[in-house]
Amino acid sequence: MSEAVATPVRIKRLIVESLNLEGMRPEMIEDETPLFGDGLGLDSVDALELVVALEKEFGIKIRSQEIGREVFSSVSTLSRFIEGRT
Amino acid sequence: MQREGPAGTVRRVAVSGIGAVCGLGWGVAPLWAGLRSGRPAFVPVRRFDHSQHRTHLASEVGEPPAELARVIPGWRRLSVADRFAVFAASEAVERAGLLVPLSEEAGVYFGSSTGGMYESELFFSDFLRGRRRARLSVLASQQVNGPGDAVARRFGVAGPVETLSSACASGALALAMALDAVRSGEVEVAVAGGADSLCQLTYAGFNSLRSVDEAPCRPFRACRAGMSFGEGAAALVLEPLDRVLARGAEPLAELAGAGASCDAHHMTAPDPTGAGAAAALSAALADAGLGPEAVDFINVHGTGTPLNDAAEWRALQRVFGEQAERIPLVATKALVGHLLGCSGALEAVATILCLQHGELHPAWNGTAECEADPELPVSLVTGEPLPLPAARTAVSTSLAFGGSNAALVFSRWTDRSA
Repeated sequence: MSEAVATPVRIKRLIVESLNLEGMRPEMIEDETPLFGDGLGLDSVDALELVVALEKEFGIKIRSQEIGREVFSSVSTLSRFIEGRT
Repeated sequence: MQREGPAGTVRRVAVSGIGAVCGLGWGVAPLWAGLRSGRPAFVPVRRFDHSQHRTHLASEVGEPPAELARVIPGWRRLSVADRFAVFAASEAVERAGLLVPLSEEAGVYFGSSTGGMYESELFFSDFLRGRRRARLSVLASQQVNGPGDAVARRFGVAGPVETLSSACASGALALAMALDAVRSGEVEVAVAGGADSLCQLTYAGFNSLRSVDEAPCRPFRACRAGMSFGEGAAALVLEPLDRVLARGAEPLAELAGAGASCDAHHMTAPDPTGAGAAAALSAALADAGLGPEAVDFINVHGTGTPLNDAAEWRALQRVFGEQAERIPLVATKALVGHLLGCSGALEAVATILCLQHGELHPAWNGTAECEADPELPVSLVTGEPLPLPAARTAVSTSLAFGGSNAALVFSRWTDRSA
């Protein structure tokens, strides 16, 4: 079922659902919006939760902070990382 | 706890700001209006399902003003108690007219009993229903030091940031600790107070002891049957008096003294002789350099439990002798409930407001069947506010589980005080 849904869409749904972002809908997140700082405004606690949720959903492993920083820049970078692994 | 200042004299400490949130509303203005009205603010608990508990009322804080979520960074990570604390401290710092960030000259001294316990309960409830539902982020600020730490982050306080948790004396003891820090010169500004939110742990805990009245609490009345729950936060800004005057600000009151003691008697029951509570009262008056005759009114601990009020009456008799029957007593808990680790701080704010306005807020009248207790012949202010424009000095008491007692002495600020 989920194969039919594009990875960026699944990631956006996961962000909104797993982080309980009030007033936010998946379609409001642009592929290139920075997830942290001035973009979506996520914080370090969100990052921890998102890592766990992505690991469960996509079976990925983030092996170092450096990789994590790069991969978690935006939905677009996350999507490329996930599709490169699966 | 009195220490000498650099010139060999004790530094006088002014209250330059106050802030509060409780069941009467967000802010000092709704607090004072509600206190003057004498109408208790108890409603059926909304925060959690109270149906399985023995009692059902609490003085619960309503929804926060919508703009707080926008203007306070990291709002969604704060526990309910943290939010109360940050709001109260914001109001107090603004009233004091201080420039933010406060830097290393300032310290935070906060009391709390349960911190983010409510959030821990939410997490655990979800966890037990299936671990995928439970969000770790709910626990981000579960610690008892959460409220004080949140205040420090908000105002850039880089001096000592300390949390005191000694049951229902926490708020008063935090103020005593702050008084000490300002007197000694350890800090030039202290943001001090307390915060606690309703949670099932304390709600069930006091109920299991049969210490909660099914009706709104009735301190010092014959039919009193226990305390009532409240929640909220209160904050005071304390500074050396000369510092406040030097920048042209007007002090709200002086915190003239503090005293503490322990009954060393029982885990929950007070020493029925009132000796421990009397020791704290006497220590606070001595710290302020005042005798019992100087006290114009007392904001009592007055929980409304049969044991507390009887022991507190004995303590008043010990310190004030025959005057104990005549000194007006103010029972703030009768209107806003027991704020536990915050109660001493909120009642400090109520005491300052009574001094400022020259009138004492009433407790509610109770019912016609609920008469004054002939065993406790106190002068409790009930029904209408009592004008007392000449009042200069007031004491606020906090008598906690574990027998921990604290008393604070406040002096009204007038132009002649300087």
